Amino acid sequence: MKKLLLKVFVAFFLIGSSYNLTTNEINAFSSQQIARGANGDDVIELQARLQYIGYYTGTIDGKFGYGTYWALRNFQEKYGLPVDGIAGSKTKIKLGNVSKYDEKFVKDNINKGNRFTHYGGKPLASQVKKGAGKKDSAQLPSKYSEQDLTLIANAVYGEARGEPYEGQVAVAAVILNRIEHADFPDSVGGVIFQPGAFTAVSDGQIWLRPNERAKEAVLDAINGWDPSENAIYYFNPITATSKWIWSRPQIKKIGLHIFCS
Amino acid sequence: MSMVYHAMKKTLFVLAYAVVALTIFSIGETSKNDQLSIALSGQYAKKMTDASEKLDELNNAVKKTLLFKESDGSSKAREDIWRLSSDIKNSVSSLPLDQSFSTSWLNYLGRLGNFAKEADRNNDIENYYKVMTQASKNLDLMSEEWEVATAGMVSGRLSMSDWSDRLDGTKSQHDWSGMGTAVKKYTESDFPLTASESDSMKKKELQQMEDGKVTKKQAVERFKKIFPTVSNEIIGVESSKPGSPYPFFHIRFSERNSIGYIDITEKGGHILSYLEERPFSNEVLPFDILKEKAESFLKSADYQDLVFEESRENNTAWHMVFVRVEPRYKAKVFSDTIHLKIAKDTGSIIGLDASEYIRKEKTDEQAIVKKDWQSFFHEGVKITKEELAYVEDDRLNQRLAHYLIVTKEEHGVIGTYAVIVDTETLEVIKTERLQ
Repeated sequence: MKKLLLKVFVAFFLIGSSYNLTTNEINAFSSQQIARGANGDDVIELQARLQYIGYYTGTIDGKFGYGTYWALRNFQEKYGLPVDGIAGSKTKIKLGNVSKYDEKFVKDNINKGNRFTHYGGKPLASQVKKGAGKKDSAQLPSKYSEQDLTLIANAVYGEARGEPYEGQVAVAAVILNRIEHADFPDSVGGVIFQPGAFTAVSDGQIWLRPNERAKEAVLDAINGWDPSENAIYYFNPITATSKWIWSRPQIKKIGLHIFCS
Repeated sequence: MSMVYHAMKKTLFVLAYAVVALTIFSIGETSKNDQLSIALSGQYAKKMTDASEKLDELNNAVKKTLLFKESDGSSKAREDIWRLSSDIKNSVSSLPLDQSFSTSWLNYLGRLGNFAKEADRNNDIENYYKVMTQASKNLDLMSEEWEVATAGMVSGRLSMSDWSDRLDGTKSQHDWSGMGTAVKKYTESDFPLTASESDSMKKKELQQMEDGKVTKKQAVERFKKIFPTVSNEIIGVESSKPGSPYPFFHIRFSERNSIGYIDITEKGGHILSYLEERPFSNEVLPFDILKEKAESFLKSADYQDLVFEESRENNTAWHMVFVRVEPRYKAKVFSDTIHLKIAKDTGSIIGLDASEYIRKEKTDEQAIVKKDWQSFFHEGVKITKEELAYVEDDRLNQRLAHYLIVTKEEHGVIGTYAVIVDTETLEVIKTERLQ
């Protein structure tokens, strides 16, 4: 009888502790492993917790780049965890135990676009400064900035919002192809604002707010997709007024646009 | 009667009020537009003045470099050529010029600047003298043409429509298009494509691919084999237009919620790119499972010589990059990549771009000189990873390189850099700060 009671007690204890473990984990992070390249709420929490205990001094932006990677490795080394720069369950539990995370403070400031830190032991009010405003959070190849993403998305939305997705990616790819081409300026701004290059700039539609689909199309182009097959021009044959554009070698038609080299 | 009179009086008052308000608004808007027009006209006048002045300086700098037999004598002037050509490019690209002239002119200026810069490295004095003598003659002609074409345009009194008319190829009295053709000829004669540029162009246009042609039916079969779940409802198969440097089939599909396209080359039936658009659920699969799915997809699609390089998470999908590994040195070839887009909710492949991979680079044998990295880098720079890789240099040659990832503490933040060093010449091909 005593043995049975002991077994029941042990079983309850084990179930209880595993429940606590799971609850802590859910409170702290999602169940996902967090590695370099990741983006989102888990990374915001990871950066904020690492910053709280002084391992991370970079921007809390939800983007797991090299800064977060080295901070995490240093933390793992210090606490005797496997040093791999990946936040798995052991690392997340240890981090949850030794740090605090004020989710509201962190996310409010991200949403306001403030510059802020999240160091433990300092009054929160003294850790906030006015920033440049909220930015899009996207993981981009090193050679592109968030400003590039926003500007190209504006151009794509202004030029091709009624086109199929493929056509929107193709318009973004044409902008990127021009940057690499000797006949055009070598920056995103230079290409988009070259006088007469894009109708959306001439008629002001470039300043319409792009939707998520246009942004996704630009992300695909920036990540290497080019449905235009190396085109550097496109035009709508119904509305085009330039005779010269018809002299360009045509590659492909997508939606209403003909893409040319 | 008096009620009607009052109603009429009210209506007249409202109408008179509206007319006055509209007039004030319209005067305000016209004045605002005039101000904007004057401001923009001033900007164009400034850019035009800059371009004209710097064109003279550029012409002089080119002539100065022709005085010296020894490279050192002309190094300052060569630097000026590079800087001035870049400045003029910036000015010209901000002006509403005729498109055919503008593109040819930007190209010429870029090649002139690069040639002057490159002369520091190759030290071929005779060739430099020959090329720049011709370029100097052509720049004289160009300067004269430019002066005639832009006469009176920097007075600051031209309206926006005057600017457009003067610079537009169809409305202007000046033959901008003829000027564009002349510059294009100068480019071809003064700065013809180098051997590696020509090779690069051929590669881009898939000219070196020797595979046999596939039919439309075979291309569709290839699509069905690789993407069986979305290829049952094909809504169109078109051939590329005759102006495409390489012929391909453009296949569009729409199955259940998925809609997208795949481009397959006519030579060999290789996939150029594939994209699928569909709604996504909120479920998120772990990254390691998504990576496994990506790797198993690549194997099943017969892409066997690739290794995982990097990945980026965004709202609905991960973008992953895989790089070819060549067998001789087991070096990564960074120009031969495959990009995959993997849906976070199901792990299905919703994007594939293999256009770089199918343009396989030729990787030559190359000497590997050892380098003492301790003396190469400052103290405090830590090498965290070292491997061999083929990387394209700025002369478009594939070079075997030491590919180093190094870190350096920068005021409390750890900076991470990729440093790429030629294994034979130990020249630094590229240094890039990684995010």
